[in-house]
Amino acid sequence: MKFRDDFPLPDTDWPPTAEFWAGAARKQLVLPRCDACRRFVWYPDGACRFCGRTQLTWTAVSGRGRLFSWSVVHRAFIPQLADAVPYVTGLVAIDEDPAVRVVTRIVDAAPAELRVDMPVRVLFRPLEFAGVSRTVDAPVFTPVSE
Amino acid sequence: MTFDADATPVALCLRMPASADWGFPSPLEDVSGQIAIAGVGEADHTKASGRTPRQIAAQAVERALADAGLQPEDVDGIMYTPFDGQQLTADDYRAHFGTTHDMWVSTQGGGMVWAGSAPHEAALAIRAGKARAIVNVFSVAWATQRAEMMGGPGEVHAAELFKQNLEVPFGWFPQPVYFATIARRHMHEYGTTPEQLGAIAVACRRHANLTPAAVMRDKPLTLAQYLASPPLCDPFRKEDCCLISDGGGAYVMTSVERARDLRKPVVEVAGVGVGNSRTGAYWSQQGDFTSTPQVFAAPGAFRMAGLTPADVDVLACYDPFTIVSLMQIEDIGFCAKGEGGPFVEGTTLHFDGGRLPYNTHGGMLSHAYVLGIAHVVEIVRQLRGEGAAQVPGARVGIYGGYTGPQASTLILRRAA
Repeated sequence: MKFRDDFPLPDTDWPPTAEFWAGAARKQLVLPRCDACRRFVWYPDGACRFCGRTQLTWTAVSGRGRLFSWSVVHRAFIPQLADAVPYVTGLVAIDEDPAVRVVTRIVDAAPAELRVDMPVRVLFRPLEFAGVSRTVDAPVFTPVSE
Repeated sequence: MTFDADATPVALCLRMPASADWGFPSPLEDVSGQIAIAGVGEADHTKASGRTPRQIAAQAVERALADAGLQPEDVDGIMYTPFDGQQLTADDYRAHFGTTHDMWVSTQGGGMVWAGSAPHEAALAIRAGKARAIVNVFSVAWATQRAEMMGGPGEVHAAELFKQNLEVPFGWFPQPVYFATIARRHMHEYGTTPEQLGAIAVACRRHANLTPAAVMRDKPLTLAQYLASPPLCDPFRKEDCCLISDGGGAYVMTSVERARDLRKPVVEVAGVGVGNSRTGAYWSQQGDFTSTPQVFAAPGAFRMAGLTPADVDVLACYDPFTIVSLMQIEDIGFCAKGEGGPFVEGTTLHFDGGRLPYNTHGGMLSHAYVLGIAHVVEIVRQLRGEGAAQVPGARVGIYGGYTGPQASTLILRRAA
């Protein structure tokens, strides 16, 4: 299997998720929403899974959510993450629809302070990887007080 | 906009992701008591060995044939998975054994969920006269190939484009990270503790220490050692995660009637179930984050077999991580959902007197990472009384297969 030279950066031109990364470049968290039933469809891998319609519109959300769960990763499972460990990665359930979980990094917080379901808000930070010269701005999250 | 309750389509309501709607069972014909597993074999399970998957598979098939007392030409059906293009095909089988006979072929075989569901399709084929004896075979050389890949089994996930573009960039990758995240949520929802996950790892290691073919045969593990082990991807330690090894296994299926004329005690297929998750392999989005599709697979298998979890003497589950064992134990119905932690504490899972002897060969944590095929081999041996860590008088055994998108429940029973 041959991966792109800048793996594990996202391919910001891949059509199904290009808008997500374009939004991040504008410092906006945007997610696809069904025009017909108004539900968020995540991941956008085809028609709306609730009503079957195909017209989705990428919609800005508040960037507020709850920390659904996470792992503190100590081992660099791929060499590009050698400089990043230990890091916190996990899932944020967005306030607009908690069934939508955004995979993200949790930043600016000690792992011991993290609690399941604590409120978090979005920030935008460049994704940097060892051996990859380019960076891409990405939505990451940080805890906020209740 | 006004809301008119009477105008809301019922179908829309039914598709809402209510907690019970995140998956569904596959409809399966009743095949209970029709076929038996008449021969089992394992290849040598090793660290990097330099062998190819086909060489490994051929060794496992040779041993399964010898166990059944069958000749290569007697097996006229083969099941494998096409997923990596390296499995033993019908042409490979004939070339290896020097035969030219016709073989019925299915690519719905192999390990993982298919190690549990293959007997269902085999039963239909045998019933329809398409084959008289069918071998299901699976092998990996991931320890050998590891250096050439993205970290072995993670590659298939890194190559999937939604994961590649929405998960991997955040470091939510590979499988140990997915399941560590699931484990933390399970701990939050149900109070599951590291000591309880450790009890699973310790039971599996103890069984491997008693099993000559196990990769970890000579490496004991105590709960204190488990707890002292540094975090790998917290809340997981290394010991929560399966091995990477070269190896494989095979089992031969035929009609119960014919099995009675072969060498070994008859172990019949009593029930099969398959469950599915609507979110496939996107663990991040699964409606019930801390369950497996076993909740949809197991009820049908028990119904087909006319048995309940209380009838089960020995269990083997596809166990890439301790938490996957815990969730399947809950989801197959051996305890209430969320009570898996307290259930597995102490010696519950041990072969000698435990309430639910579990992965009595050591599982993927401590026996070999051959993706479930060796689990089925072990259950058959247990029901024959041939186990290295033998459960006294075992008559009913289950294999719980898992891939994420699917789970399977295979109930085996020693024939009267």
